[in-house]
Amino acid sequence: MKFVVPKAALLMGAAVLFSPITQAASCCGGGSASTLVLPKFSSAMVDVSFDIEQYDGFWNNSGHHNSDPPGSDLSQYRLNVGYAHRLASRWQASVIMPYVWNDNQYSGLSTSSDGLGDTKLNLWYEAFDGVTCVWKVRKPADLKPAAYFGTTLTVPTGVSPYDEVDSSFDTTGLGFYRLDGTMFLEKTIYPWNASLLLSYGKYLERAVNREYGKYVAPYDKNLGDRRLVTVSAGYTVFLDSMNTVTYTLALSDLNEDEATINGRVDETSGLKKRSAALTAAYSTMDRDWVFKATWSHALDRDGWGENFPTTDVLTLGVSHVLR
Amino acid sequence: MSYAKNWLAVGGLIALLGLGGCQELTDDLTPDGGDQRPAVAAGSAGSQVSQLAPSFTALDSLGATHTLAAELASVDGVVLYFTMWCPTCDSHMSHIRSTLMSDFPNVTFMIVDYVTGSVSASRAAQLANGYASFTVLADVDHALLNAFDGGMGVTVVIDSSGLVQLNEDYKDGSKVRTTLEALP
Repeated sequence: MKFVVPKAALLMGAAVLFSPITQAASCCGGGSASTLVLPKFSSAMVDVSFDIEQYDGFWNNSGHHNSDPPGSDLSQYRLNVGYAHRLASRWQASVIMPYVWNDNQYSGLSTSSDGLGDTKLNLWYEAFDGVTCVWKVRKPADLKPAAYFGTTLTVPTGVSPYDEVDSSFDTTGLGFYRLDGTMFLEKTIYPWNASLLLSYGKYLERAVNREYGKYVAPYDKNLGDRRLVTVSAGYTVFLDSMNTVTYTLALSDLNEDEATINGRVDETSGLKKRSAALTAAYSTMDRDWVFKATWSHALDRDGWGENFPTTDVLTLGVSHVLR
Repeated sequence: MSYAKNWLAVGGLIALLGLGGCQELTDDLTPDGGDQRPAVAAGSAGSQVSQLAPSFTALDSLGATHTLAAELASVDGVVLYFTMWCPTCDSHMSHIRSTLMSDFPNVTFMIVDYVTGSVSASRAAQLANGYASFTVLADVDHALLNAFDGGMGVTVVIDSSGLVQLNEDYKDGSKVRTTLEALP
């Protein structure tokens, strides 16, 4: 019997990048959430987070929002373990490995599965040397943001629809390599901060000879180019202990072009999704520990997405910076 | 800080992660494009291409009974599309409606709903998703899912003699069209 979790598979490709940039002034030592941007003058960072994702229907390819079938309760849980390491004064690298649990209840069937998700390998260049966070703007140079330029390789370590799966509910990954180029700008003028993330990704075409465990006539498939824009604004509250709480609102817009099958455009593919996320990050005074909670919400309204599940994601995480 | 040592550590980590240790977990890292479909005897009973399709009796979402034999009696072929009312399924079904159904009026297109669990729930999902005019088979006991090795997006084309001409994911629909054009 073949079951599938198409939403899970779709989502795995977006999971990390959809997570908002929950910077707690990373250039100043606050660390970050999913992007694993290592603070300046730090040698390493460990980040662990847990995502609880609940599905709430989907947008069809016309942008109309449809509900899931009555009696459905579809969820995915992800444990993300990340490690960032400073390679040089302006260079850092990181790896994020998720472990995924799928839990799907339909009126007509009930399934659950788990497995390793797709791994992300990141390399970042920091186009600045000193701390760019300021308390007051006294000269034009104080307005200079922290600029990061990075590349991410997504490695298909998850179980994809094209894998050797006993059940298609085993899918925890997309099955494609993808290379993303990312620019991330961040500026903190206490207590305010803002950031902009622009990312462009290209998948690598692959051969397919199996769909959900069943061998089929071989063909070549590639997913479409992916573009992500995320903007965020935040406010930091300084507690009496000099620990801080930073509240961040982030808006994301994701687009993926149509896939190709043997070089021919697949009109039934491609996706769009807009989402908003609210994050509260608690940092210790020395910014070595950051505890984060993020609620990411996609509006279940027409026009806010295409060909993609509508979900809410609650993320709880902690980062530890090693000086 | 020894940067050279750090680069070495990261390189080792990448190698460990990706390319060695995970090989047993997945073969997506080095996809195999070879044709590994099992050989089947043409005309034997089964759900694979060239096999004689398993007969079935199923209720549609309005409670009417459909049998494969009856459907094939008056058309060039039958198309079964397995849906779970998801974005990909919706995209495929919309594509079937807009590009295939009118071009092949003598082919019966049927949606197989294997997730909602009852005839009434199947009808509700059908209406909610805007496919009121489709014939939706409520595969409550997964008989069709099992018989045709189905799953999300799986599309089965059966010709009028009962032979399976296609059984794979819908993808962009071009292979379904090619198969329908070649129906005897």
